[in-house]
Amino acid sequence: MNKYKCTFLLGLEESLEYRVNFALSLISTFFPIVIQTFLWTRIYNSPDAVIDNGYTYPQIILYSLLAGMVSKLVSTGFEYEVNLDIKEGGLNKYLIRPVSYLRYRLSAFLGKKVPAAGILCAAIAAAIIVAVTALSMSLTLSRVVLFAAALCLALLLNFIIFYCISMAGFWLTEIEKLYGTISIVLVVLSGGVFPLDIFGSLAARISVILPFSYTTQFPVNIVNGKLSMTEILTGMLVQAAWITALFILARILWNKGIRRYISAGG
Amino acid sequence: MKRLKYYLKLLLLFIRFSLMAQMEYRLNFVSSLLVEIGYLLVKLSYVAVIYSTGVTIGGMTPDQIVIFIGSYILMTGLYMFFIPSFYAISGNVREGRLDMLIVKPLSLQFIMTLQRFDFGMPIPNVTGGLILICMCWSRAGLTVSFTHIAGFILFTLTGVFLTYCMFLIPKLLSFWFVSTSGISQMTDALWDFNNMPMNLYSNWIQKLGTFIIPIFVITNFPGLCAMDRLTPGYAAWGLAVPFLAFALQRAVFKRAVRHYTSASS
Repeated sequence: MNKYKCTFLLGLEESLEYRVNFALSLISTFFPIVIQTFLWTRIYNSPDAVIDNGYTYPQIILYSLLAGMVSKLVSTGFEYEVNLDIKEGGLNKYLIRPVSYLRYRLSAFLGKKVPAAGILCAAIAAAIIVAVTALSMSLTLSRVVLFAAALCLALLLNFIIFYCISMAGFWLTEIEKLYGTISIVLVVLSGGVFPLDIFGSLAARISVILPFSYTTQFPVNIVNGKLSMTEILTGMLVQAAWITALFILARILWNKGIRRYISAGG
Repeated sequence: MKRLKYYLKLLLLFIRFSLMAQMEYRLNFVSSLLVEIGYLLVKLSYVAVIYSTGVTIGGMTPDQIVIFIGSYILMTGLYMFFIPSFYAISGNVREGRLDMLIVKPLSLQFIMTLQRFDFGMPIPNVTGGLILICMCWSRAGLTVSFTHIAGFILFTLTGVFLTYCMFLIPKLLSFWFVSTSGISQMTDALWDFNNMPMNLYSNWIQKLGTFIIPIFVITNFPGLCAMDRLTPGYAAWGLAVPFLAFALQRAVFKRAVRHYTSASS
């Protein structure tokens, strides 16, 4: 366990090297929030607009405030490193050591996340407090606790989704060129821009079936009061089920992929 | 006139070389095309929200609003066309590669900022933008006359010129500071405010985005002109501001070059 703690701390140290860059990149999260807040305010105040998306005005505003930040909180980035390890033989150093690559990646990912998570959680908390006060929403402590728990599961779920995707590197060496596209499409599918259920019942059904919406849309809809307690508990079970299934898939992909690994350049 | 022809010929050559270079690494080309298709999906989700709610903004119908989103997507594509030269500036300055450019018998700004072009990223944006504009132009029942189309094209072209001038200034800060990626990210994020017609925002944001940081002039004015909503005063401002921005940008450029230290070369 100690070795993974070390990896966690190394990841933490690494992320602290680029503090300013991170702080400025947060601003790019802030602008879409402003645009969406203006847009929804206009829509809900417009007498001729048809609103049958199932969200009340405070709910959709809180969604706009939080979705971008939650999406950033669960975002990954290690998939490029995995691809490089496979392509340039960097995996060797993990294969000859008594470490599990998956656990190594997970602890490094979590370690790197700490400073960003600290800032984002503070921003999320501030957004919730402002929205609850300004829009006079009712928010119970149990919802906040469930939101925090769902966020932790979402972080794990997004990690394992991208870990499985990065395993494609064993078969396709240039897959990294598609990572940019994959991550932006997944942000949309996870509800990081708009909640998917506002786009009709088909989109809502798809979002329930696929694992992606459980990384962003689900946690946000807990705290804005859109989901009932039963839906929350079912959703968390689905999150856990997806995490388990994808961990098993990751193992299968690793076992199959590692047989194709040729240690090029290593 | 002869000089202008010479620069035009050079520009076409640079464009050709960029295309040749990109065709060498086709996978990179395809990947940048696909990433932009991904971002197009995000922009189109705004279109879906507009249509699904049928909202009106400042008396504009959803079809009219989507013309603005179309202009924004088109303009994003056009900006992407010359963005590679902009991104190369900071590296050229930091590593002293500007030496080779300074000694050439050409305008330094021309060769620095119009040398590299991207073809992958503009394709989805320009196509998607044009389709949305044409589709909504007819759906909204806007007049299809020479003056309206010419006005739209004129303000689109001045918008491209304004984009060049406005977004070059933050990139020039690399003559003073080592790392400008943060500032670039911030100014690029400002670009997204064009996603919606400016009437959406409060009055002071509209004024700020038109007169102080004229970001709204870039994608709002072509649409406003097509809808006969551009007052003569605004039209005059829309035509004047690119030249003001050019003058400002030239002044910054001249000062910036004086700070060049030819480091590490």
